[in-house]
Amino acid sequence: MKQVLEGSHAVSEAVRLARVQVISAYPITPQTHIVEAISAFCADGTMDARFLCVESEHSAMAAVIAAASTGVRAFTATSSHGLAYMHELLHWAAAARLPIVMAEVNRALGPGWNIWMDQTDSLSQRDTGWIQLYCEDGQDVLDTTLMAFRLAEAVHLPVMVVLDAFYLSHTFEPVDVPRQNQVDRFLPPLVPRISLDTAHPRVLNQMAPPGVYMEMRYNIQTAMAQVPRRLTQYQKEFRAIFDRPPGDAVEAVQCEDAEVVLVTSGTISSTCRQVISDLRSRGEKIGMLKIKMFRPFPIALVRRFLGAARKVAVVDRNFSFGASGVFAQELRAALCNLDGHPPVFGYIAGLGGRDVTPDTLVEIYRRTQDCPTPPEESIWIGLNQEVVQSWYN
Amino acid sequence: MAPQEAFVDPVPLFVPCSRTSTEVNKTGSWRYLRPTYTEKTAPCGAACPAGEDIARIAMLASRGLFQEAWETILQENPFPAVCGRVCFHPCEGACNRAQLDEPIAIHQLERFLGDTALAAGTQAAVNERSAQGRKAAVVGAGPAGLAAAFFLTRLGFTCEVFEAQPEPGGLLRWGIPAYRLPKEVLQGEIKRIENRGVKILCQTPVTARTLEKIKARNDALFIAGGYGRPIRLNIPGGEMACDGLSFLAQIRSPATFAISGTAAVIGGGNTALDVARTLLRRGVEPVLVYRRRRQDMPAFAPEVDMALKEGIKIKELSAPIRIAQDPNDPESFPLNYELTLQKMKVSSTAINGRARVIPDGNKIETLRVQGVFTAIGAEGDNLGDFPPGANQKHLELSHCQMALQDLPVIWGGDLATPVKSVTHAIASGKQAAIALDTLFAEGWDAVATRLSACRIGSGPTVSMAAYLGGDRERRSARVVTFDEINADYFHPRARVTPVTLDVEQRLPSFAEIEQTLVTGAAREEATRCFNCGICNACDNCRLFCPEMAVAVENTARRINLDYCKGCGICVVECPRNAMVLEEETP
Amino acid sequence: MVQLDIPPNDYINPGHLGCPGCGATLAMKFALKALGEKTVVVIPASCWGVIAGPYPQSALQVPVLQMAFATAGAAASGVRAALDMKGDTATTVLSWAGDGGTFDIGFQSLSGAVERNEDCIFVCYDNEAYMNTGVQRSSSTPYGTRTTTTPGQGWKKTRKKNMVEALAAHRIPYAATASIAFPEDLICKFQKAKDLRGGSRFIHILAPCPTGWGIASDMSVKIARLAVQTNVFPLYEVQDGLKYTLNYQGGRPVQDYLQVQGRFKHLTGADCDQIQQKVDEDWELLRGKAGIYVDPAAARAREQRQCKSKARKS
Ligand SMILES: Cc1ncc(C[n+]2csc(CCOP(=O)(O)OP(=O)(O)O)c2C)c(N)n1
Ligand code: SF4
Ligand code: SF4
Ligand SMILES: [Mg+2]
Repeated sequence: MKQVLEGSHAVSEAVRLARVQVISAYPITPQTHIVEAISAFCADGTMDARFLCVESEHSAMAAVIAAASTGVRAFTATSSHGLAYMHELLHWAAAARLPIVMAEVNRALGPGWNIWMDQTDSLSQRDTGWIQLYCEDGQDVLDTTLMAFRLAEAVHLPVMVVLDAFYLSHTFEPVDVPRQNQVDRFLPPLVPRISLDTAHPRVLNQMAPPGVYMEMRYNIQTAMAQVPRRLTQYQKEFRAIFDRPPGDAVEAVQCEDAEVVLVTSGTISSTCRQVISDLRSRGEKIGMLKIKMFRPFPIALVRRFLGAARKVAVVDRNFSFGASGVFAQELRAALCNLDGHPPVFGYIAGLGGRDVTPDTLVEIYRRTQDCPTPPEESIWIGLNQEVVQSWYN
Repeated sequence: MAPQEAFVDPVPLFVPCSRTSTEVNKTGSWRYLRPTYTEKTAPCGAACPAGEDIARIAMLASRGLFQEAWETILQENPFPAVCGRVCFHPCEGACNRAQLDEPIAIHQLERFLGDTALAAGTQAAVNERSAQGRKAAVVGAGPAGLAAAFFLTRLGFTCEVFEAQPEPGGLLRWGIPAYRLPKEVLQGEIKRIENRGVKILCQTPVTARTLEKIKARNDALFIAGGYGRPIRLNIPGGEMACDGLSFLAQIRSPATFAISGTAAVIGGGNTALDVARTLLRRGVEPVLVYRRRRQDMPAFAPEVDMALKEGIKIKELSAPIRIAQDPNDPESFPLNYELTLQKMKVSSTAINGRARVIPDGNKIETLRVQGVFTAIGAEGDNLGDFPPGANQKHLELSHCQMALQDLPVIWGGDLATPVKSVTHAIASGKQAAIALDTLFAEGWDAVATRLSACRIGSGPTVSMAAYLGGDRERRSARVVTFDEINADYFHPRARVTPVTLDVEQRLPSFAEIEQTLVTGAAREEATRCFNCGICNACDNCRLFCPEMAVAVENTARRINLDYCKGCGICVVECPRNAMVLEEETP
Repeated sequence: MVQLDIPPNDYINPGHLGCPGCGATLAMKFALKALGEKTVVVIPASCWGVIAGPYPQSALQVPVLQMAFATAGAAASGVRAALDMKGDTATTVLSWAGDGGTFDIGFQSLSGAVERNEDCIFVCYDNEAYMNTGVQRSSSTPYGTRTTTTPGQGWKKTRKKNMVEALAAHRIPYAATASIAFPEDLICKFQKAKDLRGGSRFIHILAPCPTGWGIASDMSVKIARLAVQTNVFPLYEVQDGLKYTLNYQGGRPVQDYLQVQGRFKHLTGADCDQIQQKVDEDWELLRGKAGIYVDPAAARAREQRQCKSKARKS
C-alpha cells in the first residue's frame, strides 16, 4: 500500500515489519525521526520490541551487540558524531559476526557544527567490517532496510543502511509499504548460529592469540565476498514476493556508449537521472553508475560497467584529507589493474549540505569532457574563491 | 516459506568463541610451592598426662558425635568420667584459646562424655587384639594398676589385678570424697574395665611371699601399690593426730564419727582440703594449718577457692610444733587439744614458685581444737625389690621403673611418676603396657625407642593410638602455637560455666558440687575449640582455593597438583594450621 | 569455628589464567556459587577478560559475553532486553567489570543502565588499578598508592571514588559491598541480589591483586579481611539509596592494612595518620547514614584488646 512517508519513517516502517526485537539508540539530528517513530511503535504496542534509551551511541551499539549476541534481531540508528562515537564497537559488531542493522543518516562532522548532508561520517567507517548500502529515495530506504536484515543474517555481518540527511531523511515521498505477511515470507525469524545460551555455555568474543586472529579476519572477508551473490539471490526473492525490484548493488544508466560516466551515490543519483535525460535529449553521451553497495566494494561490477567508458567522473560528497574523495579512491583502486581503463576524474561537491544541483552535475560533466586527463586528484566544485583567498590576507 | 539458499556457498563462521574448558591448561606447572595436609600436635594433648587427643575429641563432640569422642578418649584413658572430675587438667593451662579469651573447659567436656557413656552403658569400640596367651599380674587396683590392666588387655594380655582393700579403686575409692567423685561413677568405669576381661581380686594383699607365687604364674608383673602409708607428724604429741587419708576412707563407710567443734587440718595438698571439707560436711569447723603461704599450697587452686567459699579458714605460715591434751580440761568429751604453732615468714622465693619459709623469731600461736588431722603425704611399700638397683638389668622410664628379674617387672603409679596424680598414674599404666608389649615383641632394646616414637609432642606422654599405628602416629610432633592459628576465624566467646551447688546446698551433704554439662552446653563448648593442628573438615581450603584444586575424596581432602598454582591461600586460611606450604622439589 | 553454609557447586573451571592468589578469581567463584547456572556474564576488557580463557577455552560454565572496555552497563542491558524478548526472565544477567570498567571508562554506561533500573546485577571486582595493562592508577586507586602511573613520590594524592555512594545516589534498589574474605556474606548478598529481580543491583567486591598490590599470593584473603577489619572497606548494604545496613564493625588501625602491602611501603607515619583520618571520616559518615553511632576509637580499642596476645608476641 502506498503511503506518503518521510525517508526516516521508511526506515521505521521497515524495522517494524522486520519484527525487530531490540532497538537501542541515542538521538542525533537528523536521525531522530527514525527512532521517535520506533519509540512510538514500541510504546503503543505496534511493535513487540524493547527500546533501550541509552545514554550514548557507544552504549547503543553495545546494547544491540549484546542483544544480537543473545540471538534476537536488533537495530539502531545514528548519524555523524554518533557514528564516530560508535567507532570502536563497529569493529566489535563485525568481528563478533553479528547481523545488526543500523540506519545511518549521512551528516557532516564538526567543528563547525553542521547538521547537513555529508558522506564523510559513514565512509570513514569503511574498514570496520560493515556492509554499507546507500539509498536513493524513500522506497529504496524501506526496501534496503528489509534487504539489510536478510543479508546480515545470511552472512553474519552487520549492515549500515545509509541515507542522505534531510534530502532523504526529512523528505516525504510516496512509498509502497508491504504487508506484514509478505515481509514475514522474505524475512523468516532469526535462527542464530551462535548465541549466549545457558544450555550451551560459551565465551563469546574472547582473546584470540596470533595463531588464530588472522584466520578469523580472513573469515570475515570470506563472508564479505559472498555478499554480491547473496544479494542477487535475495533480489530475486524480493521481486517475487513484493512484485518490485529492489536496488542493485550498482546501477548502470546508459553507460554502454557514454563518453563520460558520472559515478554517484545517494540522492544525487536522482538528480543525475534528470541531468542525463536532459543532456541525452541534446545528443550528449552521458551515463551514470550509481553505487549502492559501497561495502563490499563491487569491484567486478565496476570493472564490467566502466571498463569500456571513455572517462569516469566521480562525484564525492565526502573527502579523505590528504588524499581524495573516497568513492574516487575506491574506483581508481578497482580499475587500476584493468588494461586500458578510463581516466578517473575526482570531484568534490556538496560537503556539509551544500546543494548539488543539476547545474553542479552539468558543470562536472563539462569539465570532464573538456580535459583529456584529470588536471588534479580532486577537483573541488563550487568553492567560493573570494572566501578562499581571504584566508591569505 | 523458508528461503532457498542451497546453491549459495555456506558462510563459514570462525569467531572467537569457546568450545573447550580451560581444564586443558595444567596450570599446576606454574607452582613452586606445594601445599600439603600435615596435621600437627595440639598443645592440650601434649600437656595431658594421658595424652588424650583433645583437639579431635572436641571436634567430634562439636558435631554431636559423643560416642566417637568418648571412644577417642578411651584410646588413651579408661577413666573419662573420673578424670573429668579429679584431674587437675593441665591441658587447659596449655590451651591456645586462652590467648583469645579463655581456655576450653576440657575437663567438663571429658566429664560430660564420660557420664554420657556411663549413662548409656556402652562399651567402647577401641581397637583390641585378641588374647596372645601372655599373662600379666598387676599389683594394686588403683588408677595405675587398672589402667595397666586395661591397656594390657587391649594388647592381648590376660590380666589379674591384686588388691588388698575390699573394693578396687585405690586412692580414687578411699581418698577422694564423694562430693568430688561419686562412688557410682568410679564403680561404673571400673566395671567397664572388668567387662573387658580384667579380673580384679580384692582383699588379696600381696606380700613378699605371695609375690613369688604370682610371679610363677605370670609372664610379667606390674606393681602399683601406691602410697598407702601415711607420713606421721613427727612432733611432740604427734601420735594424737588422726591420719587424714584413713579418715577419708572411714568416712566413706558409715562408721561412727565422734568429734564436733573445731578441728585443725595440717597440710596444704588436696588431701588436706578434702579432709577439711569433709569435716565441714560433718558439722565440724575446720582450720587448715599450712606452713607456707596460701599461694604456695600444692592443692589445685579451684579446690582452694571452693574451700574458702565454703567457709574454711586457712592459717598460713604456721608450722605445728606440739600437740597436747588441754591441761585445763582433761576429762572433757570430745577431748580438747592444744595445738602450738610456730609462725613462719618468707625468706626467699624458691625455684618452682613455692616460697621458702623460716621461723619468724619465736612468734608462737596456740589453737584450741577438738581434733587434729594430718595430710602431709604418704609413701609406698617396698614390694619386689624397689627401686631396682644396679644388680639387675633395669630401665628408668618417665612414669615407670622397669627391671628384668626372673620375669619383667615394672613399678608404676605414685611409686614412679614424676607428679603424684590420678592422670599421671594412668599414664604410668599405659607406659607399662606399651613397654611390656614391646619387650615381648621386639626385645628389651626396642622399648625406649618405641616409647619415644609414640610420644605426643615433645613431652614424655605416650599415646596408645599412636602405638597402634593410627592417624595420630602420622601427626607431626610440632605443637601448634597461638600465632599459628588464624584467629580471624574465632571470635571471643565465653567459656561454659557448669551449674554448681550453692554453699548452703553443699554443706549438709556429700552431693557433687559441680554438675555435669547438659548436652547443648557441652556441644557448644566443644565448638569453641580451635582444633589446633588437625583438619576438622571446615572446608576452608576448598572454599578459598582460586584454582578449584582442592577435592574431597571420601571425606579426606586432596590437592589436585595438575591445577594447584601454589598460591598458599589454603594454608593461610586454614584456621587451625593443619596444612603447610613447602618448597616444590623439582 | 565459623560454620560455612555455602552452596557446593562451582561454575568456574580450573586451568584458568588468573595469577596465583588472584582475588578477582575468587570473587567470581563465590558469586557464581550464589547465582548458579542460569546466569549470563558480561565481561568488559579487564584481567577477567584474560582469566575467562583464550580461544578456544572457557573458564566458566555459564555463557559469557566479552565486551569492549566501556560497555558493561549497556551490554548487560542489551542481554537483558534480548532475554526478556525471548521470554527468559529467569536467567540472571551479571555484569562483571573491573574498577576501570566501573569507576572510569565504564561509569557512564553503568550510570545509564542503573538509571534505567535495568534488571541486572552489576558487579565491580575492585583491584584498585588497571591491572590487565600493568597496574596503572584508576579513580578507584586509594590515596597513598604507588602504581606505574603514580610512581615514586608521585604516589596518588587523591581519594578513591566512592562508587557505592554514587550508585546509591541513583537510588537503585540494592547496592552493597562485599569481600572475598567474607564468603558467606558475599554469597548471601548475591543470593539477595538474585532474588531482587526487576531492577538494578550493584555489588562492589574488593579483590586483592597479589601482582599489583605487592603482596604474597597467600595473603589476598587475609588482606581483604584486613580491609574490612580496619574499615578501609566497610561491608554494608544500601536499599533504594536510603536504607543503610552495616554488616561488620571494624576498628583495627589502618596501619595493620597498609604495612603489609608493597604499594603502600613508602608511606610515612604521618601519611598513615592522614589515611586513618580519612578512613575514620568515611566510617563516621557511613555510620551516620546507618543511623547508629559507635566511637571509632573505642571500637579500635576493643579490636586491639582482642588481638592483645598477638601483639604481645610479635
Ligand atoms: C577503550 C579501551 N581503552 C583501553 C583499553 C586497555 N585496557 C584493557 S583492560 C584495561 C584495564 C582494566 O582495568 P580494570 O577495569 O580495573 O580491570 P583489571 O584489569 O584491573 O582487572 C585497559 C586500560 C581497552 N581495552 N579499551
Ligand atoms: S589455594 Fe589452591 S592453588 Fe592455592 S596453594 Fe592451595 S590448593 Fe594450591
Ligand atoms: S593481575 Fe591481579 S587481578 Fe589480574 S589476574 Fe593477576 S592477580 Fe588477578
Ligand atoms: Mg582493576
